[in-house]
Amino acid sequence: MKLLLVSIFYLVLIQTAFSDQIMVGASGGLSSIRWAVEDAMPGDTIFVQSGVYKEENVIINKPLTLIGINKPVLDGQGKWEIFTVSAPNVTIEGFLFKDSGKSSIADVAAIKGLDAHKIVIRNNVFDNTFFGIHLSNSDSTRIEDNRLTSKAEHEYQLGNGIHLWKCKTTIITGNTISGHRDGIYYEFVINSITRNNVSNGNRRYGLHFMFSHDAEYSENYFSDNGAGVAVMYTHSVKMFNNTFEHNWGSSAYGMLLKDIRDSEVLNNIFFGNTSGIFVEGVSRTVFDRNLFESNGYAIKLMGSSYDNIFKNNNFIANTFDVTTNSNLGLNKFERNYWDKYSGYDLNKDGTGDIPFYPVNLFSVIIERIPPAIILWRSFLVFLLDRAEKVIPAITPENLKDDYPLMKSNDLS
Amino acid sequence: MKNILFLLFVSLVFSSCSGGPEPIRFGHDSCDRCKMVIMDPKFGAEIVTAKGKVYKLDDVNCMVGYMRGLKLESKDIGHLLIVDFGNPESLINVEDAYFIHSDKIRSPMASEIAAFSDKALMEKYYAEWGGEILDWKGVKKLFE
Repeated sequence: MKLLLVSIFYLVLIQTAFSDQIMVGASGGLSSIRWAVEDAMPGDTIFVQSGVYKEENVIINKPLTLIGINKPVLDGQGKWEIFTVSAPNVTIEGFLFKDSGKSSIADVAAIKGLDAHKIVIRNNVFDNTFFGIHLSNSDSTRIEDNRLTSKAEHEYQLGNGIHLWKCKTTIITGNTISGHRDGIYYEFVINSITRNNVSNGNRRYGLHFMFSHDAEYSENYFSDNGAGVAVMYTHSVKMFNNTFEHNWGSSAYGMLLKDIRDSEVLNNIFFGNTSGIFVEGVSRTVFDRNLFESNGYAIKLMGSSYDNIFKNNNFIANTFDVTTNSNLGLNKFERNYWDKYSGYDLNKDGTGDIPFYPVNLFSVIIERIPPAIILWRSFLVFLLDRAEKVIPAITPENLKDDYPLMKSNDLS
Repeated sequence: MKNILFLLFVSLVFSSCSGGPEPIRFGHDSCDRCKMVIMDPKFGAEIVTAKGKVYKLDDVNCMVGYMRGLKLESKDIGHLLIVDFGNPESLINVEDAYFIHSDKIRSPMASEIAAFSDKALMEKYYAEWGGEILDWKGVKKLFE
């Protein structure tokens, strides 16, 4: 009864004095976010004071701004989707979302947005949530400076950190995402910018594009994911200034490019991955000024890839620089620095006078018979390699760099 | 030395007599067609050739596409298996499965298809999702 009176008192107060601000919390204001949302008028701001809120599922169906003061905890108790947003112009800022429900059928999320155009999700923490942020049919969205972590007993009981489906125009910046299936997942998303995020220790991919065209991702750091980034069935993607580090495993790649075209891979660093880039079904794409260092394979260039250009890259201390399963030289390599190049430069123009063939004979054999790797660095392989250099028989003749640099490119 | 030879011999013998369906290791195996790691235990498929070679796929459209790529004829195929949506991780024969094609289904490669061994369960989901019910022939036709 007292509570009701207090609520009514505040409602009156709100409507008379502060028609656009609602307070929720122990030290004054409403005690429930749900009530605040129900009472609010479109366009109001709800401030939530610190504390633990167990409100099951709160549906936000009008334009509102919700601001947490000192990171109030929204506890999903392992059962609930915490916020479901079904209105445009909602801002959610400064909360700690904890223990959302998990489901093998439905995509339960800490924040689910459906037709949530212009939603802004900023500066929140997501701790042990299934899907952290899940938006569908939502255009012009911003997801900034959030921290998302997940843990699960079985690795497939994981949702994606940030998941967008059929959205147009989104900016995702400054987030840190770990322990999910994919850190960030785009499916049928047009026009996205993904910048300055850290995605590490996710089971599948740090960042994953499916049928999501006209994208840019830059200045991100990807480490220890199943693969750093997978770009699949997509065109027109700009990928620059990213770092891909330590993605280890039999099917791990720094970057997995599969069926993409008209894209750019510029100024990225690939360091210490099983494979730096896996390229399959890729066309009309430029790979310029990247550093490939200490990878098992720098580039795996597979079938049906054509009209790609690899230029001004540095290849340093990789076990294999380029491997391929195709004999067709439909891609161009020029002005790269290869630390394995042992040619000479008599005319002193800075490029070697004989071409460099980056495909090692033995890597072609491994591509066909993987267990043959145990013979690597044996005398037999050394002999084969020398013989192949003199009379190429197996390695693709056209896959060569006619202007290999004598000194590494300055990529700074 | 003798031991090593023996071990080599044993491993040769065992490596040559594989064959038959294998369980998909979710979170470890990757799709032979699209290279994605197979993560969602409600979806996935497997082709076992008559010679016993196993290909694992993450979605039914990858399976149909991969079969086309390999130019497999019916005499080359040992088993065609698909994950039972109602009983995650378990593989069933495609000929015995009931398929729903509905845009409510979010499968890894956007095939929008789920397979069921249990007809009653399939009908329950069909009532919820709508779309169309297909048999294996109908599914193949969809992606050809």
